This record gives sequence, C-alpha cells and structure tokens, in this order.
Amino acid sequence: MEGFIKTDKLTIGYNGRPLIKDIDIEIKKGEIITIIGPNGVGKSTLLKSIARQTDVIGGSIFIDDKELSKMSGNELSKKIAVLFTDRIKGEMMSCFDVVATGRYPYTGYFGILSKSDRETVENTMKLVKVEELKDRDFKKISDGQRQRIMLARALCQEPEIVLLDEPATFLDIRHKLEFLSILEKMKEERKLTVIMSVHELDIARKISDRILCLKGDKIDRFGTPEEVFEEEYICELFDVKEDINAYAKERNISLF
Amino acid sequence: MGKKRTLRYIIAFAMLLLGIGVFLVLNVCVGSVKISIGDILSSLSGSANDKTIDTIIRNIRLPRTVAVFILGGALALSGYLLQTFFHNPIAGPFVLGISSGAKMCVALAMVFLLSKSLKASSITLIAAAFVGAMICMGFVLLMTRRIDSMAMLIVCGVMIGYICSAITELVVTFASDADIVNLHNWSRGSFSGMTWDNVKVMAVVISITFILVFLLSKPLDAYNLGESFAKGMGVNVKAIRVFTVLLSSLLSACIVAFAGPISFVGIAAPHLIKKLFNTSKPIILIPASFLGGSLFCLFCDLLARNLFAPTELNISTVTAVFGAPVVIFILLNKKERGNS
Repeated sequence: MEGFIKTDKLTIGYNGRPLIKDIDIEIKKGEIITIIGPNGVGKSTLLKSIARQTDVIGGSIFIDDKELSKMSGNELSKKIAVLFTDRIKGEMMSCFDVVATGRYPYTGYFGILSKSDRETVENTMKLVKVEELKDRDFKKISDGQRQRIMLARALCQEPEIVLLDEPATFLDIRHKLEFLSILEKMKEERKLTVIMSVHELDIARKISDRILCLKGDKIDRFGTPEEVFEEEYICELFDVKEDINAYAKERNISLF
Repeated sequence: MGKKRTLRYIIAFAMLLLGIGVFLVLNVCVGSVKISIGDILSSLSGSANDKTIDTIIRNIRLPRTVAVFILGGALALSGYLLQTFFHNPIAGPFVLGISSGAKMCVALAMVFLLSKSLKASSITLIAAAFVGAMICMGFVLLMTRRIDSMAMLIVCGVMIGYICSAITELVVTFASDADIVNLHNWSRGSFSGMTWDNVKVMAVVISITFILVFLLSKPLDAYNLGESFAKGMGVNVKAIRVFTVLLSSLLSACIVAFAGPISFVGIAAPHLIKKLFNTSKPIILIPASFLGGSLFCLFCDLLARNLFAPTELNISTVTAVFGAPVVIFILLNKKERGNS
C-alpha cells in the first residue's frame, strides 16, 4: 500500500493567505508521522486541511487514490478521525455519551446506538483504560482524563487515519506513555495511520516512522528520525541560537 | 445505566403529559364563568343543555387553550434551536430581538392593511412576522462575526429588540384610534381572542416545522459538540446552520403573528427540561422542550386570566416572573459549565 495519503502541489493557509506551499508528500498505511516545527508555522493548518476542516488554497489531497474534496461527509468520517484542540461544547454528557458520538457515521437516521455500537464504545473505553469514567460528567473530569476520553472518541469512529494536534500536551508522564502506547498498538493491530503534531521532540524521535519538518513556507525535511534528528539541523529548524544551545548544554538539557 | 436512563425518560415524559392534561382541563374550567368537567364532556359530545356554557367552551376557552398548548411548545422549541445554534444557554427569540423584529413587521402590515380597510389573514401575518424575524436574525448573525461572548450577544439582541419596539410604538401611536386597542393588546403579548381558524393555521405550520426539526435531531446532536466536531463527523455544518435559522425564525414568527412577543419561555422551558431529563440528546429534548413549553404556557396563561380577574394580565408579565429567575440562575451557574 504505497501512498495511502498523497498530496499534489498542495498549498494550505488561512483566509486565502498561503502558509505552506507546494506540499508533495506520500504517507504509507500504518505509518506514524509527526509534524514538528516552530510555533505558528502551520502544523495545525496542515492537519485541519487533511481533515477537510479548512479549505485548501491550491492543489489536492488523495486518500486511497480518492480525492478528498470529492468524498462525502460520511465517507470521510469513516476514514479520518481527529483529535484537535477544540473543546467539546456539549452539556450534560457523560463520558460514555462523548465517546459514543464517535459512532455517529455508523448509526441510522435518528442516531440511535445499536447493541454492537454500544459494545464498540465499551471496548474502546477499555482499550484506552477509561471505562471507570463511563458515567462521570464530561465537564467534571481532569484535563488528562478528558484527553483520553477524546482519544477513545476518535478511535471509536473506527478510522483508518487519526489526526492529532498536540495530543500529549496536557498529560502527565504516565498518561503520555499510555496514550502513545495505545497509538502504537492500534498501528500494529489495525494498521492505523497516525499523523500528529508534537512539541516534545524526544517523543517525536522515538515513536515516529517519519518526521515532517515545517519551516518558513515549505516542508523542509521529511524523513526518518535518523535523517532529521541531527543537532545542527534541529537548531536550524527551531532557530536555536548558539548562546541558547550553549545554555542547554551547560544545564544538560537535551534538545531531543 | 441504559435502563435507568430509559426509565427516567419515561417517567419525565409521563409527568409532562400528565401535567399538560391537568392544565388543559383547568384552563377550560377555571375562569369568570365556572365550568365543570361534566360540562366539557357534554359539550364535546354535542349534548350540552346550556347554550351559553357550550358557546364559552367551544368558541372561547377551548380554542384558546389549544392555541396556548401549540404556541407554548413552539416557543420553547424555537428557544431550544437558538440555544443549540449559538451554543448559548440564554439565547432565545425574545432576548435576541427576533420576536420584536417579527412584531414590528406584523404591526406595519396590520396598520398598512387596515388603512386600506382590508383584514389581514393569518398567513399574511405569519409571512410578515417571518420577514421581521429573518431581518433581526440577519443582524444578530452579522454581529456574531464580531463578538464572541455570550453576554455581549444578548446585549446586542436586546438593543435590536428595543429599536424594533420603538418603531412598533411609533406605528401604533400614529395608527387610527379604532385599531389601536387591538394592536396594543397584541403587541404586549396575549393569548386572548384565538379562533378555531387561527388554531388550524398554527397547528399546520407548527406541526410541519416540528417534524422538520425532529428530523434534524441527529445532525443537531453532532452540532451540539461544536462545529469542528460536527465537521469531523461528516455533517454539513453550513446546511444545518441555515435550517436551524429558518426553522427557529418560522416558529418565532408564528408565535408573534398570533400571540405577540412572549418573553422568557424560550429560555426557561428548555433549560428546566434539560435539568429534568439530564441529557443533551436532541431526539429527547426536541419533543420534551415542546411539551415543557406547552405546560409552562398553560400554567402562565391560567394565572394571567385568573389572578386579577376580571382584568387580564399580559402573558409576558407572568412568564417573566417565572422565567427571568431561571435566566439569572443560568448566568450565576456559568462557571460550572465552562466558557460555552
């Protein structure tokens, strides 16, 4: 399955103003891709464009050889699930309810959950280890718990691709590791393709198959951890000046 | 948990229906002329002895009660749709100025037609009200592009409402004397003077709208979570927004055309219903809000007619007394519900 996700001269941006130009990439099924780059470079916009939540400015995206813009909403939602930074606005929802919204593309006209839908929801909650939160009010749980519920929601959609925007930011170290291990497990078991933006370079280095580096208005490098994580290159990518790097060395803070 | 919830829904629905049943009967029975349940039964079966009482039941009390049931439900439903649309628990046709806009256009239409000595039909009034509602909705939507805060949106809506009310007052002031009495009563909100013809028209318009709203319950459920989530689930967000605006405006228009602007029911009823059912599922809340609004209005209309009889209060006077505290309560509890 070469080129499960492909882009062709893709230009993305906001309000007609291009941020990143001429993106030509191919992503294989079952790859974990992380997007790194300085703040405001367009990581979120790239994810939103692949999720079809932002209109692209030029070029096109193909998933499984089908053009993204020509897919129906339902078809798209069975392929791609997202976990972005937007907060859920719904009120009076238990965590089960929130996870169950992931079944939306599969339910009938009135959106009533079937028995197998309920089972999927429960199994996914077990997988993400949040089954004990089932009946809790979604607004009254911690940020870390919320993020795991949102992951369960995304996985419950049974997608082939998951897009995540800085998913680990609010998680403590244990939950961070748990979160990542679930993604890797899903990659192994279901050939799930994961594309996510992260700020933690050490994580990106260890779990990605390939890393997409954004700088300026282009994709600067797209390669394996070995190809990307060279001290010189990372310093250049994030504009880490010599004096700052010297400070990091002095304090023994590793860049990645 | 599933079973427990279903039980709660059934009990809550049963309570609502029972309450509505009781108040339907009370609204027909209680008034300046006392009517017994026996009188109602004999009047309905066509074997009434007393012609006066029969006329009161058939031509005054019954159409009014049915109208209150239908319009009250529509009011709550319209509020529910607007709250969903704006993700804002204190949105409603009255506070957003939509009712006032509808009122303005109806007053203009009435005065214009009366000056040509034509009588405005129900449909004409609904159409005028719809135009007014859409104009104000348009303004509100333009403003939402610039403001994000829920309180500011309401303040702007209230201002639009005042502007429209001012224009209405102006029209009423210069209308010829004979028309004023009617126009004046109506412009403050009242269920009095409902005829069966009115009831027929509103029943048709509102039941069609209700069905359309109900058919939207699945996408509305997704929209409830936020637009990004709805898009992620393949919902055509633009279409849903357009439908929600049109349907809620149509409902508001229908209410205003028949009963004038009525405050707070649109906010209070859906909120109390959400608390009662403890859910956010539109498929439950759409019918439940309708029934809740009906019950609330039946209760308020009973008080409006009888509290200071023979003087009849404006319906908004009563609904405000019971509805406004709910709004204050929602605002005080804002922290608990985050920033939404």
